[in-house]
Amino acid sequence: MPTAETWIFRILVLGFVAAFVAQVTTRARLAMRARNNIAIDDGETGRRLLRVLTEVVFQSRTIRERPLVGFAHLGVYWGFVAFAGYTAVQFLAGLGIVDLTGTSAFRIYAIALVPFSLAVAVGMAGLMTRRVLVRPKALGDTLSVESVIIGGFILTLMITFLLEFRLDHGVAARVNWWVHAIVILSFMVLIPGSKHFHLVLSPLTIYLRSSELGTVPNLDFERDQVGLEALKDVERKQVLDAFTCVECGRCQVNCPANATGKLLNPKRLVLQTEDALLAGTLETKLADIFDPGILWQCTTCGACEAQCPVGIEHLPLIIGARRGLVSNGEAPDALGAVYNHLERRGNIWGLGADQRQKFVQAAGLEIFDADRHDYLMWLGCAGAFEADFQKALRSLFGILRSCGVTFGVLAKERCTGDVAKRTGNEYQFQELARANIEDFRAARVTRILTSCPHCLRTLGVDYQAFGFQAEVVHSSVLVDGLTRGMLVDGHEAVTLHDPCYLGRYAGVTAEPRDLLARFGAQVREPARSGDNPFCCGAGGGLLFEEHEEGKRISQERFEQLQATGARTVVTACPFCSIMLKGAQASANAPVEFVDLMTFVDGRMKRSGRQAEGVS
Amino acid sequence: MILVIAEQQDGVLNRATWETIAAAQQAGGPVTVAVLGADTAAAAAELAAADVAGVVRVDHEALRVYTLDGFVGSLAALVAAEQPAHVFLPHTYRTRDFAPALAVRCGAPLVTDCVGTKAQDGQLLFVRPVFQGRLLADVAVGGQAFVTFQIGAVRADSVVRGAVPAPVRTAAAGVDAAGIRQQPEAPFREAKQAVDLTQAERIVAVGRGIKGQEQIALAQQLASAIDAELGASRPICDAGWLPMDRQIGSSGQTVAPKVYIALGISGAIQHLVGMKGARTIVAVNKDPEAPIFEIADYGIVGDLFEIVPALIKELQG
Repeated sequence: MPTAETWIFRILVLGFVAAFVAQVTTRARLAMRARNNIAIDDGETGRRLLRVLTEVVFQSRTIRERPLVGFAHLGVYWGFVAFAGYTAVQFLAGLGIVDLTGTSAFRIYAIALVPFSLAVAVGMAGLMTRRVLVRPKALGDTLSVESVIIGGFILTLMITFLLEFRLDHGVAARVNWWVHAIVILSFMVLIPGSKHFHLVLSPLTIYLRSSELGTVPNLDFERDQVGLEALKDVERKQVLDAFTCVECGRCQVNCPANATGKLLNPKRLVLQTEDALLAGTLETKLADIFDPGILWQCTTCGACEAQCPVGIEHLPLIIGARRGLVSNGEAPDALGAVYNHLERRGNIWGLGADQRQKFVQAAGLEIFDADRHDYLMWLGCAGAFEADFQKALRSLFGILRSCGVTFGVLAKERCTGDVAKRTGNEYQFQELARANIEDFRAARVTRILTSCPHCLRTLGVDYQAFGFQAEVVHSSVLVDGLTRGMLVDGHEAVTLHDPCYLGRYAGVTAEPRDLLARFGAQVREPARSGDNPFCCGAGGGLLFEEHEEGKRISQERFEQLQATGARTVVTACPFCSIMLKGAQASANAPVEFVDLMTFVDGRMKRSGRQAEGVS
Repeated sequence: MILVIAEQQDGVLNRATWETIAAAQQAGGPVTVAVLGADTAAAAAELAAADVAGVVRVDHEALRVYTLDGFVGSLAALVAAEQPAHVFLPHTYRTRDFAPALAVRCGAPLVTDCVGTKAQDGQLLFVRPVFQGRLLADVAVGGQAFVTFQIGAVRADSVVRGAVPAPVRTAAAGVDAAGIRQQPEAPFREAKQAVDLTQAERIVAVGRGIKGQEQIALAQQLASAIDAELGASRPICDAGWLPMDRQIGSSGQTVAPKVYIALGISGAIQHLVGMKGARTIVAVNKDPEAPIFEIADYGIVGDLFEIVPALIKELQG
């Protein structure tokens, strides 16, 4: 016969569970009514599960950037998992269903939990100290009272758990038990409405995240898709993202726009979306939720997405909202000119094909022939028209020829559509992509070589959505492979600037370093390098931006590069080079920029001459 | 008879109207000018000074403010009544708005942006640039045509004046005020940039080669000597040596002056795309490899601090 205490507990549990379910239902409903953009039938299940293991179970992203905080969180997380069985047994007993608390197995389990409880308590104390006393910028300007309450809850849970060993069946023990139980129930009710909903959602959002960074699926014009205009257009994964956000601010502190005093804050963008969704007016225009101006401050460098420990994808939201603006003719003026250039001349500069032809002839390039050439050499808008990058390409051609690699170019090229894609001019992107793919197929292209990381990404990843599969390789990777056996002496200090679309997007970080090391350079790493570089400011169409709020991103990056003290900065992207040279000119600083290919070619020739001189 | 549609705003005729009348006179044959509005008496009297066969006033309260439906309706009626051989219009924003609809309503072809006319075998041909101005096409039309004339293509002061004022008459407006679907709001002028380099005929632009902010005065002297505007490449504006509204390039203004003098500008592509439309480019740079020399018509390799003072002296002397 259940006691009165049991009945009171049953009623309480019922009430709290109902409150929890009601909140979850509201959110689940919002997710279910959103357009489904989740595509998990991509043969990536293994990779997704592996990702859940490393990022959820082992918390790799939580630890990576903030090891101390990350390990504290890992302690709390594993403690929670370890306590699941304990809590279940206690609740089963409290509800009068079955009492296993007296079994010896449970006692052993409880003793085994002691180290976990200590891990949680220490971790939590550390995290609370950080939140309340250190107050890092990433956690926002105001102290989250909710987080402090929940932190207090978790500490209380651990204390009451440990007290349990000291208190035997008296009134004090019952009070202790009740405190523990009520805190658990209260915590549960706070979960859906707080950042702690990530406890429930993050394994899902991490599992659902696209395998390629910055994936923004093509719009289907047949279905009248024009991008995100109002809240109701926000798609399912982004709705889940909004609810899973843990407000840690890793996106914010890694965002180059935010770091240079601009209003864009990826974290706030996600949280504003969450608030708006819960406010329930789905017809609200996105422009009324966040200032459209901030959408044009994003360089699409991908730092936010790449750092997010709970699998949030910011770029589909930002580029999606840009699409909504562009389809209503609300792109910034500077982009209007670029779109005209792309439409009329097929390149971002609006220059004539005759100028590209001049370079093709002057550099002695052959027209691609699948039967004779190893690679299609893709020049891109910069390669076709930009004098500095053309020097870098001539270096690449020299290296290829000396290594016996054959290559040719298309008689005519048009832009891959990178700027159109990233700025939300989806129609123009698809037109350019389809036309290019048609040319590739006609020329029977299977292997493409490019020295532009933006072309690399667009041709290699974005074109797959059109069913185009080719091996697309960046010059640094190919040349690194070709020159494996070569070694040139030297100790010149150089700073390497990793382009976002090479280091972060394509994950190419080892090859440029390997090349530099083998060709006589001592690489100095600036702040933010490798797979988490600080952007040059050109990406996402911002190359064409007239005025930047706050400090120029390029200037900030230039100062970071200059701080290593090396006179030479090596880059591997024409747009990084344009931006950083501009910043260098403004600062009038004695720093020289060299493309990776020019550096390698120069050292190769110099050592060749020396070798001849010796013999 | 050629019917010219004049364009007036608050009783003031624009220059493009006179240009179009001149084009019609040069095409030969009698010219009639029509002017639409709420009270066109003054404008019509002004138009009558030209050597034309007549001026037609089309007055209606509904035509006080321009609307597409109002103009297409009354002009279609006028064309039907007058039966002109051709209708000439200035290629203004307003014309671009209504002329296509008017031509369709009248079932006649529209030839846009012409720079002149030619007579060949007794037929009038309309000359218009194609391929971004690289070629001129002579367009022949069977029967009545609506033809618009590029601004500035024919000189307004070449209008032949009449010995006596031409007769002015009034035509029915033929406008269905209730059927006008557009509701214009009060006109407003967008805040213009303080410096509009796009209209400048001559520009002196400075780049990083100018070395210091205090040296900009030298470039300013040269600009003053040839009555030019001062422009700059991005590093100069980023450094705050000149305001942002003087920046020329892909992030900045796109200019097409008659003369562009680039001082110490290396010619990075983002600058080149903003000034490549200049008719004559003069570049001064120390580096003979500078990309600016690729597109310059006249290149001087040397120290701008020697060359510019010499230039100023020559110009002032």
